[in-house]
Amino acid sequence: MTAFDDIKKQWESQAYPKTPENGSEKVLAKVSAIKKKQQITNVILSATALILIAFFFYISAYKVSRAMLGLFLMIGALGFRIVLEVMSIQRLKQLDRTLDAKNFKQQLISYYNRRVWVHGLATPLILAAYCVGFIILLPLFKENLSEGLYTYVWVSSIVLLLVFSIFIGIQIKREFHVLKKMKSETMEEDKNL
Amino acid sequence: MSYAKGDETLAKDLVQEVFIKVWEHLESFREASSISTWIYRIAVNTCLIALRSQRKMQKTTQVDSLHIPSKDEDINEKEDQLWQLHQCINKLPEGSKTIILLELEGLPQKEIAAITGISHEAIRVRIHRIKNNLTKCMKHDSI
Repeated sequence: MTAFDDIKKQWESQAYPKTPENGSEKVLAKVSAIKKKQQITNVILSATALILIAFFFYISAYKVSRAMLGLFLMIGALGFRIVLEVMSIQRLKQLDRTLDAKNFKQQLISYYNRRVWVHGLATPLILAAYCVGFIILLPLFKENLSEGLYTYVWVSSIVLLLVFSIFIGIQIKREFHVLKKMKSETMEEDKNL
Repeated sequence: MSYAKGDETLAKDLVQEVFIKVWEHLESFREASSISTWIYRIAVNTCLIALRSQRKMQKTTQVDSLHIPSKDEDINEKEDQLWQLHQCINKLPEGSKTIILLELEGLPQKEIAAITGISHEAIRVRIHRIKNNLTKCMKHDSI
């Protein structure tokens, strides 16, 4: 008996968790819950978009150029970012998990490469558009708000922008780390073949 | 459980997710491979994707939270060796860990090759190397 046979014996001797009796029912319940959640998300997103479009025409916002441009840039930037994230989550869900691990890893690497594009180009542009929109609106705020409220608006906006930038920065760093690690693992494995 | 590095809750979540994915993709199963190979592929890929997004959390939970009695407890030699085995497996690179866990589960090398996408010959060599590393680790506690 080799040393590895001993290891295998040890492995086989460990206790395994019991199989739940109603496991299949739980899985089916979760599947329908996921489908329902997806439907609700789609309904909410579509309704929000429709309401925003309707509101745009209702207040004839296309006639008030300055306020509209500022709002359009801010809401548009947020909306675009949300759409990008939703698309990204969908893409991750749609990865073909029935592939062998090597091909699946390649698929995962290409997913994260696309995320690098989002983080490297789209995110800075979105942040810039949001800031420009806000700056365009600042004179309007100054005209219509009290001095105290106006100060509160621009100070809190800078704080919020900083908090979101840090949050996005942490997320980007984490995804870059995952991508780097996966690429180095793949290279290491290719070397071992 | 080894994939989840001892985190029982995560392991249960992963099992459930694998079953959901099997259910969702069942129609795409074309009998090009055996059903077990197909399910193992989904299981390995689901673990890969889930553990990537939780990598940070794992760094803190790794070996300490293995569902095996800790060294402080009154444990016998068998449990101690099992604890050490899990530690050694967790020290292996991700790809090697996948291969050796499948080998320990008793899967034929041909099936491991089909699951991992590595040629049968290369798998044979890899398993030989990993076995040596694991045996060395169990003896000297280092890879």
